[in-house]
Amino acid sequence: MKTNYLLPNKYKIFGWILFITGIISGIVLQMDQENFNFNFIPGFAYNFLDEIISSLIIIGGLLVGFTKEKIEDEFIYKLRNDSLVWAIILNYAILLVTVIFIYDGNFFTVLIYNMFTPLIFFIIRFNFLKLKSNSNEE
Amino acid sequence: MKNNIKVQRAIHDLTQADLAEKIGVSRQTINAMEKNKYVPSTVLSLKIAKLFKKSVEDIFFLEDNN
Repeated sequence: MKTNYLLPNKYKIFGWILFITGIISGIVLQMDQENFNFNFIPGFAYNFLDEIISSLIIIGGLLVGFTKEKIEDEFIYKLRNDSLVWAIILNYAILLVTVIFIYDGNFFTVLIYNMFTPLIFFIIRFNFLKLKSNSNEE
Repeated sequence: MKNNIKVQRAIHDLTQADLAEKIGVSRQTINAMEKNKYVPSTVLSLKIAKLFKKSVEDIFFLEDNN
């Protein structure tokens, strides 16, 4: 099936590696700012570990979510679209709740997470739907 | 929309995987169609009908609520 915007399947495994590395190091960085946030280049004025981790999650997440399946057809395309709609709605529902109930510095933390949650929700939902359709055998 | 792909498949002695391979989709797609969880595109319906040498109306039917 001819599809728009999707990369070949071979990039998917590469995407998973980047994505999982990014998520894990992102969680570690959030928990332990002092020790983990080291300088890659000694003497370089700005500490850019968070930039690297963000790039890993975004590039990895895009590769995982938007590469073709082994057999890419219209049904999997529909699953992908449905997952995207679901993820966007969930993301903004959660964001709306946090806008109302969380303020100031804490809200900044919410915004940091919110940079990645649409992709993460989408990937979780898409893979859940794929697993579900896989397990519904004859 | 309903269909009788499962019946046609039995007549031609094909598994879901066989049929999927012949028309170039995944087995999950065939499974989802047979369970009426997925309405195939016109292209896919025509491919299935052509494979079974039937007209599309012989395989796919509208339901009252469509």
